[in-house]
Amino acid sequence: MLEETLQGVRFFEFLTEEEREEFAEASEPVSFGPGENIIEEGADQGSLFVLVSGAVEVRKGLRVGGSRLLAEIDASRGRTVVGERGLLGESGASATVRTVGEVEAIRIPRETFRRMVQEGRPAAFKLSYRIARTLARRLTRLDEEVVEAIRELENKGETDIEAFRDRLITDWSV
Amino acid sequence: MRETPDLGEVPIFRHLDEDERAEFEELLEPVSFEAGQRIFEEGTAEERLYVITSGTVDVYKKVLPGRRQRLATLEAPTVIGEMGLLTEPRAAASVEATTRVEAHGVGRDWLLEMLDADSPAACKLVYEIGRTLAERMAATNETVAGVISRLENTAAGGFEDVDVFRDKLVQDWSF
Repeated sequence: MLEETLQGVRFFEFLTEEEREEFAEASEPVSFGPGENIIEEGADQGSLFVLVSGAVEVRKGLRVGGSRLLAEIDASRGRTVVGERGLLGESGASATVRTVGEVEAIRIPRETFRRMVQEGRPAAFKLSYRIARTLARRLTRLDEEVVEAIRELENKGETDIEAFRDRLITDWSV
Repeated sequence: MRETPDLGEVPIFRHLDEDERAEFEELLEPVSFEAGQRIFEEGTAEERLYVITSGTVDVYKKVLPGRRQRLATLEAPTVIGEMGLLTEPRAAASVEATTRVEAHGVGRDWLLEMLDADSPAACKLVYEIGRTLAERMAATNETVAGVISRLENTAAGGFEDVDVFRDKLVQDWSF
């Protein structure tokens, strides 16, 4: 059943059915009530979550207090993955993922993933490759955005500060 | 120079076993660069990954016309060209030798072929690269958050000065 759930997720599309089955076995279904934190900013973010149903908000705390909404994710528009960086890195989460209503998800814990890596399982390496490529693309894109903004500021052009901010926020990697 | 580098000294190869390192050592071709020589040029092909075994390189990016920003200084043992393996084979920044540099190169296509063939050695290497990128992403997120806060100040009317903001952006951004 979990394998079928993973089948509809773009993040896992490149895996064979057998490999998805391996992840299905390594994962566990989890449910959250409204207003619960799936991932908490600053805390160790040890799992990848596939959001199966419900909606979440991604928020980043502000130094002056309060928080900023970075994204709203509605799983009914397509199952989405959050927390993938936590499978590879150890730094704390850079934003909070909070449920809006009831949320059903599948959790792949880092320990399980690392064990699969230790065992040399191709499925785990394929997922690492996928995550690494996603991170590399995001890093490259952010760099280009900033260079573009610097050039616009230098030219004293009509730099649309709000548009720049929105582009930086887009595709935030929790 | 040594024909075979000791990959065990290079962080991203550290978790590979001896056989897996040997697999790379066979593919690596020794190459050296003189001080001042450009190893990658921003915007042009980045078809190789280099393991630098001795020497120091500087990483630059053209940020404004006629001005380039030094983004980092990397010392051996280190690896350059790993982003080209994961994204497009186009250098996002220039890399120049600041001292004489001894390195070993391997073609991106070779590595991609190894990955396609599920080579455990190549898979482990990408896993280690991914781990370094995950940490880099964490640092970048913090920088982005700082930039956004400053942008918010603009909206609130408490903005410094466009020039000051731009200069801070150039300096703070680690790329």
